[in-house]
Amino acid sequence: MSTVAAAESVHRELASIVGEQNVEQGNEQFAINGVVPGSVVTPASAEEVAAVLALANSKELVVAPAGGLTKQNIGGVPERVDILLRTTKLSGIEHYDPGDLTISIHAGTPFAQPLAQMAEHNQWLPYDAPNLRTATVGGCLATGSAGPLKHTAGGLRDFCIGVHFVTAEGRIAKGGGMVVKNVAGYDLMKLLAGSYGTIGVITRANFKVSPRPRQTRTFSCEFSSLDEALAFRTKILQSPLTPICLEVISPGAPEYLSDPQPPKDPDHYAPSQPVAKAAGPWQIVLRAAGSDNVLARYSKELGSAVTRALDGAAEAQFWAWVSDFEYSVLRRHRNAMVMYTHLPIQGVGPAFKAIEKAASDYSFIPAALGRAATGNLVVAFMPLSVDPPSAMQYANCASAFRGMLPAGSSAEVAHCPKEAKLHFDLWGTTPHDIAMMRALKKAIDPKNILNRGRFIV
Amino acid sequence: MDSSIIRQLRKIVGNESVLDRPEELMLYEYDGGVDKSRPGAVVFPANAQHVSQIMRLASQNKIPVVPRGAGTGLSGGAIARKEAIMLAMARMNKILEIDIPNQRAVVQPGVVNLEVSNATAKYGYYYAPDPSSQKACTIGGNVSENSGGPHTLALGVTVNHVTGLEVVLPDGRIVEFGGKAQDSTGLDMTGFFVGSEGTMGVVTAITVKLTKLPEHVTTLLGIYNSVEDAANTVVAITQSGITPAALEMLDSWMLRCVEENVHAGYPVDAAAVLLIELEGIREAVEEQAEAVAAVCMQQKAREVRRARDEKQRQLLWLGRKTAFGAVGRVSPSYYTQDGVIPRTKVPATLAEIQRISEKYGLIIGNVFHAGDGNLHPLILFDPRDPKQMKASHDASTEIMEYCIKVGGSITGEHGVGSEKKHFMPALFSEDDLQVMITLRNAYNPDSILNPQKVIPDLRFCREITGGLPKAKVEPVEGLPV
Repeated sequence: MSTVAAAESVHRELASIVGEQNVEQGNEQFAINGVVPGSVVTPASAEEVAAVLALANSKELVVAPAGGLTKQNIGGVPERVDILLRTTKLSGIEHYDPGDLTISIHAGTPFAQPLAQMAEHNQWLPYDAPNLRTATVGGCLATGSAGPLKHTAGGLRDFCIGVHFVTAEGRIAKGGGMVVKNVAGYDLMKLLAGSYGTIGVITRANFKVSPRPRQTRTFSCEFSSLDEALAFRTKILQSPLTPICLEVISPGAPEYLSDPQPPKDPDHYAPSQPVAKAAGPWQIVLRAAGSDNVLARYSKELGSAVTRALDGAAEAQFWAWVSDFEYSVLRRHRNAMVMYTHLPIQGVGPAFKAIEKAASDYSFIPAALGRAATGNLVVAFMPLSVDPPSAMQYANCASAFRGMLPAGSSAEVAHCPKEAKLHFDLWGTTPHDIAMMRALKKAIDPKNILNRGRFIV
Repeated sequence: MDSSIIRQLRKIVGNESVLDRPEELMLYEYDGGVDKSRPGAVVFPANAQHVSQIMRLASQNKIPVVPRGAGTGLSGGAIARKEAIMLAMARMNKILEIDIPNQRAVVQPGVVNLEVSNATAKYGYYYAPDPSSQKACTIGGNVSENSGGPHTLALGVTVNHVTGLEVVLPDGRIVEFGGKAQDSTGLDMTGFFVGSEGTMGVVTAITVKLTKLPEHVTTLLGIYNSVEDAANTVVAITQSGITPAALEMLDSWMLRCVEENVHAGYPVDAAAVLLIELEGIREAVEEQAEAVAAVCMQQKAREVRRARDEKQRQLLWLGRKTAFGAVGRVSPSYYTQDGVIPRTKVPATLAEIQRISEKYGLIIGNVFHAGDGNLHPLILFDPRDPKQMKASHDASTEIMEYCIKVGGSITGEHGVGSEKKHFMPALFSEDDLQVMITLRNAYNPDSILNPQKVIPDLRFCREITGGLPKAKVEPVEGLPV
């Protein structure tokens, strides 16, 4: 059979599962790092997902699950994508009981939707990853996407209590349940969270809901050096204070903590004021929750270190910008490289020094921010406008940066130009035994049809 | 057990570190649950290399291996069959590192839970998960079962406090997952291994998070004339925007039982009490204490007491944490359940348990984590009376079935083990279980490690788990095997 005939036959079979109107030919809109999928299919139930996957598995077709398309370019350039499986039609809140503190949400639901509903009951998921208006529940869980609230609340993996998914072989399965504490069976929530769609296609997820703080205030503290900033962070960690966010912001980052500006030249570093500015301050930013009394205690403890306090809309805006940092960078510099780090607490200092060193050695402008006490930094390397980087420059910068991180750290390249992606290992080495991860992947997806070539497994 | 195997085990760990005489093995035939079975040999490895050599030996000879911590587990997780090697982790009991700047400790699996907190308190830190058996249970066991405890309501269970593992696989390979960082690139292997009940690997070192001791802690005792009012309070506290550090309930029978034992000052004529703990910075705790007390009164509490000092607070908790022991004083044996239900179903479930108690003529006491709907009904029975044995079993099954019916789970923190695995098909479909088996088989294909645990022997999966002699758990009359 010719390729065209084969594609047509796949299209026909997909249409027989989900209906003609829910299958379309792949186009640029759905390209993953430039690779246009063969077909785009939008199943409306877990059963349809299972049928699509069973078909794909029998024909060894490569499937890429897709939610709100906000993070599709993270990871490797796939060799091919035969089927893009959209979760858009798996949408809505299946069950939410404010009294039980649990919610069950279909995978294709944009995250902002359930958050808005929870807010009506003064509840929330302590979750503030970027793009929640479009990013879906399934996509956020699959990518382990997180924001500043990770400081106290952990990631989605820490409050995901149940997950429904379909395996590559078309098996409809679940882990966990609908109660906030549950150890029956293996913890498949942990396995699927951050697995980038390689273990199964998530169709629904259940979460433990919390009461939402009635009042918060944000305290921004400025320092002239990284060491002073981190010494202050350590002081906070040793104090009785329990902020809900604790961010460290590098001098280069505030440039991107603002509303998006139209890019002048998206290929190059182009700050609003292209003249070299005096180095700005390092910032430690805390967000505290509590009554007036509690917030007064924070003011007292933090004392003169506080240069700015934010409440209300200004505060919400500031944290939205922090969440959105990497996308703000990417909107302005199409060629920027963004990395995510995983560091021990004491690795944050060395990591920032490594960022500065790697950037200057390989002609990038650095900007970074992140969770000062969980070691999850978002690191951006912007190419200099005078010197468009070669693919090798990204590779060398990333590997030099990784090489300077303390033992037990890991850092993956989330975004960089696709031309450069082909030349190096985006995921890097990990403290996890890679053979162990691959053994799991091989067991659950023996033909490697789910997101082949995009993730570490 | 085959004498050549015993000889080889002695060669690996030394003569004194292998037990195989029946009178020695008797001590290892039970855990905190009710099932019993005597292992073939008990081996005490001193390090990961020992464990690796033992696993290799066992794999080659297809001998089942069952790891064991302190044996405080309540689901038969540490029960081994006659032909199995029991891997007792008691010698691996060192805290390897306390790293305060990184808020981590690295410990061996045999370290007792409370010892981690004791060793780090001087730096102002502690290890948060606090099973009631924390004076005896080990971190290795906690990791295997993903143990909880009263204070996991606000801070999470074991899996939320473990960032790295060293694991010996059934084939003897020693592998590492994670480390001191909160997470790492790639699949979350640490998270996946925690709670796998020793069916995928033997944990030989654990990196745990240390939590800063709160500045201020206070404990309230809400006293109720009706269980329903107490249960309603649980929901109302959350609605007021407060997540207590712990929120426990004791019913009237439990109250009397505990009070006789420790004289904690519990009111013996109440229908239920709530033990509510708040922690954090002083201002927050004081305000929340007032708010919680007001909520209790709104929900028709008869009285709200607050521990005046640390001594009183400890006494209130002593009552809670020794509750199971107190039951031991009044009953020859008891069956502890670990069902979880949605929080709003607490009153209905307690009523159902009361009905079941009357139906079978057995006393069932309730002491449980009300904040997260994790029940611990204690079914009292006399194991010498076969009728009571059977009744306790039937009553327990009815309670479990009810928990499942209202959308709950069969275990919140004790694990499935061998005791509850026959309930798994009520919670999970064949496909769900098949996926779990597929994943387990990636590491433990012959089911050498902890066979017959967690996942039931379904007809369809026997071939996959096969290759082993059939289970011969010595039957205890009237109890599930």
